[in-house]
Amino acid sequence: MTEVLAAPGPVGAPPDRDVLLEVRSLRTYFKVLDGIVPAVDDISFSLKRGQTLGIVGESGSGKSVTALTIMRLLDIPPASIGDGSEVWFDGREILSMPLDEMRKIRGNDAAMIFQEPLTSLNPVFTIGDQIAEQVELHLKIKKRAAMDRAIESLQLVGIPSPERRVKQYPHEMSGGMRQRVMIAMALSCEPKLLIADEPTTALDVTIQAQILELLKSIQQRTGSALLLITHDLGVVAEMVDNVIVMYTGQIVEQGTVHEVLLEPRDPYTMGLLESIPSVEKRGGRLSAIKGVVPSPFNLPPACRFEPRCPYAWDRCRTVPPDLNRVGSGGHLARCHLHTSEGAGRLPDALQRHRTALNLGRTLPTGGH
Amino acid sequence: MEAREARMDSAFDHGLAVPQVRGKLRRRLVPGLLRARAILYGILAIILVIAFTLAVSVVFLRIKGAGDLLITLWPAYAFVLAGYLATRGFKDRKLWAFGLAMTVGVLLAGLGVALVLGVMGVSGGDGNKAFAVVLLGLIFVGFGLPLTWSLTGSRRWFTELRGAEGPAIRTADVLEQEVTVADLVIHPGAVPAVAMTVAPTVAMTEGERHGNVDPLVSVRGLKKHFPIVGGLLRRQIGTIYAVDGVDFDIYPGEVFSLVGESGCGKTTLGRTLLQLTPPTDGRVVFNGLELEDVDPDDMRPLRRKMQIIFQDPFGSLNPRMPVSDIIGEGLFAQGITNRAERDKRVEDSLEIVGLRRDYTRRFPHEFSGGQRQRIGVARALALNPDFVVCDEPVSALDVSIQSQVLNLLLDLKRDLNLTYLFISHNLSVVEYFSDRIGVMYLGKIAEEGTVEELYRNPRHPYTVALLSAIPDPDPRKRRKRLVLKGDVPSPAAPPSGCRFHTRCWLRERLGNPEQCSTVEPVLRVLDDTGHRAACHFAEEINEAVVQETAATQSVLETAVAG
Repeated sequence: MTEVLAAPGPVGAPPDRDVLLEVRSLRTYFKVLDGIVPAVDDISFSLKRGQTLGIVGESGSGKSVTALTIMRLLDIPPASIGDGSEVWFDGREILSMPLDEMRKIRGNDAAMIFQEPLTSLNPVFTIGDQIAEQVELHLKIKKRAAMDRAIESLQLVGIPSPERRVKQYPHEMSGGMRQRVMIAMALSCEPKLLIADEPTTALDVTIQAQILELLKSIQQRTGSALLLITHDLGVVAEMVDNVIVMYTGQIVEQGTVHEVLLEPRDPYTMGLLESIPSVEKRGGRLSAIKGVVPSPFNLPPACRFEPRCPYAWDRCRTVPPDLNRVGSGGHLARCHLHTSEGAGRLPDALQRHRTALNLGRTLPTGGH
Repeated sequence: MEAREARMDSAFDHGLAVPQVRGKLRRRLVPGLLRARAILYGILAIILVIAFTLAVSVVFLRIKGAGDLLITLWPAYAFVLAGYLATRGFKDRKLWAFGLAMTVGVLLAGLGVALVLGVMGVSGGDGNKAFAVVLLGLIFVGFGLPLTWSLTGSRRWFTELRGAEGPAIRTADVLEQEVTVADLVIHPGAVPAVAMTVAPTVAMTEGERHGNVDPLVSVRGLKKHFPIVGGLLRRQIGTIYAVDGVDFDIYPGEVFSLVGESGCGKTTLGRTLLQLTPPTDGRVVFNGLELEDVDPDDMRPLRRKMQIIFQDPFGSLNPRMPVSDIIGEGLFAQGITNRAERDKRVEDSLEIVGLRRDYTRRFPHEFSGGQRQRIGVARALALNPDFVVCDEPVSALDVSIQSQVLNLLLDLKRDLNLTYLFISHNLSVVEYFSDRIGVMYLGKIAEEGTVEELYRNPRHPYTVALLSAIPDPDPRKRRKRLVLKGDVPSPAAPPSGCRFHTRCWLRERLGNPEQCSTVEPVLRVLDDTGHRAACHFAEEINEAVVQETAATQSVLETAVAG
């Protein structure tokens, strides 16, 4: 793996002590045959110790790339990290850190759970070996002690008879069990930060409930911070304190889970919430977001959501919107509606959103 | 026939009326019989050829030596080979292989004889002899071709020999007349209509609730088992009970949904219902026609009326085919062989699903996921079906695209009077989309009812747990879930008694009654709305019990050794 970083430029001051992870204007690009894809385009956020943050977005919005960049798991090239990008983890800047330093952090202080438990586990090693390997490396303990630790962490995630399970191979387990193993592996070194990238997407709904409850209880017990990446707004609502909504590599809305899901202020978030089918919308149409996500090679010039936005006007086609403050707290939305120019249009937009959310558009004629 | 009557009777347990059969389709010939017939033909043909060759050789050519005889018998060897190949390839629709092998074999034989004997002069320069041999070859051709012809056409030939069942409707006739399925009854009145019977436990039948309309699709005791083969001899070492005795009715114009976890058999049920895989046992009655081993010729016009939209828009479209062929293939199979007409129908169906008419020459990779799924919908609708099985049509799509496709499906249902069987694991989509729902667990229906009943008043512990597991996008509604233990057991070894008892929270709460693990619960009718649940203790379930159980649960106990 070639992991040479471009010089990240002068590094700013570290964040407060209680901030575990702070990302400052992070940009990640991919050089591909057709040109350069800005997968992550200038995003900043911070996560306090013991807190939970959710990143939501559709496929291709850059949420997974954000996580991989933070963990420095991207191959460089084809990926490259933009100048001025900073990621502060536990008081240290990790993008400019030498690789062996980073290796000490990765898996030890910051651990990651991947989406596909089958492809992320090595099929030719027992799960005990795989968990013990990293414990051995990070905590510098003997093989036998590491294996005990592995059994302990399997017990922690509720796997019955862990002494027997450590000798099994990944294929001998079900999907839910494998995901538990992934979680056990991530937890084995008691990380301060746990990044879960779509941890339940490949699982059935009853197993998803098991894993979510497990993550919740573990997070409360160990006090580690959780960065949860998902496309499911329901999962976000259940699991996290703060939410970031991403669209085409940018943050479009940011705030507490109550602010973002109950009082969304960016048209994209509004549209996502409106399009969730619910029993109240029965007999009516779902209000869908029109069109498709634009190609990363052909992004709209100003606001990237403008072609699909029901509230767009001239300004949206010429001036790229900033993340504007909404209300008094830390609620931000990337939309001109929240600037002085758009203030006149805001009440109407909110009214339309409320109608669409509650009723859906009723069909001209009834069902069957 | 008696076995079928018996199965009809067993449906009474489930509170469903016996489906009304209005007409009969021809049965498919038993595969064994087909093969036996093929082998018989092969043997007959071979005997005839050898006898004929011998007769010709001895009488006409006056061959005495064994060597000469062997050479003269050359065409017979070829014919034996052809017959052998043909009987191997002779399986139902592979008749053409038989015919082809025959023809090729016979022609080669004739040519071989002519070459070997006539040209190379084995016959010792006797012109008459050479001429006779060439004639022999020609006779083979003359004899072989009609035989081949009759064999390739034998399906028709054979059914016409059976005659008594009356004229079959040809696909072409159907297409010309644009008949509805109801008109496809082959001999009206041949089977006496079975009277609708009310099960004793229900005040009103499902049919009466639907305004005395007959169900469009009735499924009774449907089973689909797959063999597990293993060992050196590929012997069957087990059975996967993918669908294991399912009964339900789907009424015209409604959306009936099947929900359940992966591996519960919902997709297999959809495919078996459409006879895409033959059922192991059980009945499917579609619009009054019994679909059991239907002759492919009779099934084809019915297939137009029953279509399917597949789950994966990336896997279900052939990447090497342009859209015109993907959608047009079905039209072609249904007899629209005129290219211009077919293209027009393709363009029409593209327009129906909101794609542009000029997309016909494009290939699947040029479309996004949502557009591909629309192509899948267009393919299903190109033949004007009455009934569409939607197998997870939106699971592979992003949320914003998902609602576009759901809207499209609802619009089409309204405009084209469609009836859907909607298969999904997404319970919020199902709640929005359907009229009635069947919850499947390990190949059986655990609970069935209207959306209102099932979501407000679930009566099966599995349904309760499923509903509790749905993540709600409203953060104010954070609640303690009722989490099920462990994983779904293997469908190759379903638990005894109630299939759910290994994971059931209610059983645990009631102190593990023995009944659950020994007696299999029937899907019984609970109330007037046709709400059915397969649980011995369905009456014990209420909101308070659920809350209490959820509150006392420990997350760490939820994984059970599988």
